[in-house]
Amino acid sequence: MQTPVFLDHLPDFETVAGEKPEQYRLTRNKALLDLMLDCSTDWTPRQACPACGRDRLKSRNFSQTLLEFLRCTECNTIYAQRVPDQKVLDQLRLEIIEAQVGDDPGKDREFEFTSLMNWVSLTEARLQRRLDKVVDIRFASQAPRWPEATRRLSHGRSWDFLSLTPENTEFDELCARLAHLSPKAILMPAELDRVADPEALMRAIKQSVASGTVIFVASSCADGLEYEILGADSPSFIPLDRLTVFSINGFQALSARVGLSVLEVSTPGRLDAVILDRYFKGTENANIPFWSGFFQEADKNRLRDLQILLQRSLKSGILRFVLEA
Amino acid sequence: MTLRVAIIGYGKMGRIRHEAMERHGGFHVVVACDTAVDPAASCPMVTDPMAVYDYNPDVIVCSVPNKMIPDVVCTALARGKHVFSEKPPGRNSEDVRRMMGAEKAAGDRVLKFGFNHRVHDAIEEAKKLIDAGTMGELYFMRGVYGKAGGPNYAQNWRNDPAQSGGGILIDQGIHMLDLFQMFAGRFRDVQSFVQRNFWTDVPVEDNAFALMKNADGIVASVHSSATQWQHTFRLELYLRNGFVSVDGILSASGSYGTEVLTVALNRLDEGGNPIPNPESQELRFTEDKSWDKEIAEFYAAVAEDEPLRCGTSQQALDVMELVEAIYAADPEWCRIVQDHKVQENQEG
Ligand SMILES: [Zn+2]
Repeated sequence: MQTPVFLDHLPDFETVAGEKPEQYRLTRNKALLDLMLDCSTDWTPRQACPACGRDRLKSRNFSQTLLEFLRCTECNTIYAQRVPDQKVLDQLRLEIIEAQVGDDPGKDREFEFTSLMNWVSLTEARLQRRLDKVVDIRFASQAPRWPEATRRLSHGRSWDFLSLTPENTEFDELCARLAHLSPKAILMPAELDRVADPEALMRAIKQSVASGTVIFVASSCADGLEYEILGADSPSFIPLDRLTVFSINGFQALSARVGLSVLEVSTPGRLDAVILDRYFKGTENANIPFWSGFFQEADKNRLRDLQILLQRSLKSGILRFVLEA
Repeated sequence: MTLRVAIIGYGKMGRIRHEAMERHGGFHVVVACDTAVDPAASCPMVTDPMAVYDYNPDVIVCSVPNKMIPDVVCTALARGKHVFSEKPPGRNSEDVRRMMGAEKAAGDRVLKFGFNHRVHDAIEEAKKLIDAGTMGELYFMRGVYGKAGGPNYAQNWRNDPAQSGGGILIDQGIHMLDLFQMFAGRFRDVQSFVQRNFWTDVPVEDNAFALMKNADGIVASVHSSATQWQHTFRLELYLRNGFVSVDGILSASGSYGTEVLTVALNRLDEGGNPIPNPESQELRFTEDKSWDKEIAEFYAAVAEDEPLRCGTSQQALDVMELVEAIYAADPEWCRIVQDHKVQENQEG
């Protein structure tokens, strides 16, 4: 198993806390509130950690605002104590996509797209295996310019895009479409933390592809320093988009249970340092030993050093896994 | 199949080889030879190199100073033994050609030289990345390999040209040159500056700088140094679509750091031009498996008839010719070496 570190410029804080993201955040939280007030919503309580399977009694409280979230003391995964139906979740996402809230077609996501494409290309080279047919799961629905970017920038590789459609608990629709396409690789950058049952999703994918298929997944990461320090106050913690925030150990445990082997693990998140920097510089009475002083005095270079250290230690707020079916 | 091994030259390298063979399990070291018998050695020891043949070995591991390598290797091959020898392969290309003659005469006997850098994890990973074709055509390579000359520099046989054939370039820089040729094939067009800066009481170089080009137009530059006070290994390869570099190399001393492979593919602006400073991936390797991989490859070649990929005599000849070309490309250095020889002859 390899643990690459993805090095890049520190992004601007506005990408998480600008006007657009804030509008998106409010809309999502309102949707969650409506869901909670709606008596017809079916909620499935989670009796165990969705990552490592440890009894929920072994978890401690993470957040009480809106929805109750727990953090597993065994594997560090953060999870909503109860989740709505998959179909309802998908429906809500489709609504927000159609309303184009938070989507900013003018804003350049090209670096993010390139990073994903290069991730696939370099992994392909290192594995010495052609991954010339890739299926994207739902990312194109979230990022409308993504398919065009693959056509322009991803050479020698065909892409299919499975759009976001309302699924049942077992993801039957997705299974059928995936089995039909028989890809060499799958890319799923934004699903694990948003679906009701991530294990069901991973099982659905595994049973729909040939063995040897390489699966690239990315998600938020509970080991990230932003979640460790700010908890649910972190600006990237939008409950409806973070129903399960896996830790590295947690997702490894889930992968093993589903029968997927882990080829590569990384935490390429680049926002922990800038998020924390903004928090500590903007909050007058924040008084957390060591970190308050650290960030009060931190300049851009120190933030960058910290972010790289976090990545090298697998402690940043985004995780990436390369798995093999 | 267990191969019976005799190690000739039971110093630091001979013992490293011994341990690697024990880890492998397919070898049994039946005797070791050195100038003095080590009573603590875990195998029988002799002081006469010819005495090892009384132990009926299948394999000779040759870990002696450069000057003695050709004799030990040729004798072993003539006696029908497979041979694993340290680098450098003698003191010059003439030594290698002599060994190649013995190899040819010995028929199916295996002769492998220990150019272990080829099988370091980070280097193998870099090779995979480049061979996949994603990164495009190779434009140029830059290599820096250097150390602080170390204690007893002037007394060490490595810095006695009669025994070693040269200084830091033939001892350490040769690995970088071997890697250049692994990635890009033969380099014949060479310019150089060879210098003696700090250790002026020995007639070998403590710095060599060379710029070379191969038939495909790929350019490589190397700096091999014994005055690199901060131990350094750095190899950079720049290609059409990005770059790969290896920083640090895992060694017995550990002083060159862990191996860090950095790779990046360019990201392009709307006009298709690369934007500076692309996102890169950094991979760390912390365990030196090169000794084990070399021994495993040698075993497979001897016991299972597998073809040798690394450390062939042809590679040895190619790299030795490149070393000589670098020495020869600096006329001032040639004059210094010549003057030294004349002086020695007069004194002798
Ligand atoms: Zn858990």
